[in-house]
Amino acid sequence: METQLDKVLTECLVQQDTVGALVANPQGLCLGAKGIINPNVSGIGMAISEQVAKLEPENNAPATICLYSGNKRCIIQKDGEITGIIYKHATESSNN
Amino acid sequence: MSDDINKYFNGLLQKVSGLYVIQITDRDGVPLLHVSQEKNVDFALMPSFIPTFTTACDQAGKLGLGRNKTIISMYSNYQVVQMNKLPLILTFVGAENCNTGHILALEHQVEAYLENIKLAVTEA
Repeated sequence: METQLDKVLTECLVQQDTVGALVANPQGLCLGAKGIINPNVSGIGMAISEQVAKLEPENNAPATICLYSGNKRCIIQKDGEITGIIYKHATESSNN
Repeated sequence: MSDDINKYFNGLLQKVSGLYVIQITDRDGVPLLHVSQEKNVDFALMPSFIPTFTTACDQAGKLGLGRNKTIISMYSNYQVVQMNKLPLILTFVGAENCNTGHILALEHQVEAYLENIKLAVTEA
């Protein structure tokens, strides 16, 4: 049933610097996760994307959020009912 | 101390949009802490509410999947997330479209505060 989802997550993981990826449903529950990522972050990721969407209520285009920490980057994008969260290694260029 | 705990849970209530009530009780349903938004959700205080969860939890434990930790109940107007933290029961009541994943993620965050309450319950 989730073969397609699994395929998408696997495709995400082969991208450069990607550590982990997950997708969440509108309830903030994890639909699938691959790599080094805690499935519990699905709810918090959803909450962040919802708050960010409030910054520009007129804009219907899905916002992409990028959070930088010491050694990783977290990229969150909400598209319709699905929210994707990707963890990446922070590269030298991304820190500048 | 209890003021700190109250303040902390009130803060949590503000952080999760659509969350109406956080309630901590013992397994018999005796309320130990109750924080709520203006919206009145009386059913969470009904005498049969918590013991029903305790029974459901005990029955779910018999499914052979290990100890039951959480029960999420979705209703047409509300959702109820109950966590088994014996000797405590943690109850969250939110809107039907409230972020369930966010509520579940609170489990680890509140652990330290629950330890203090657990201590008070076991000593009593």
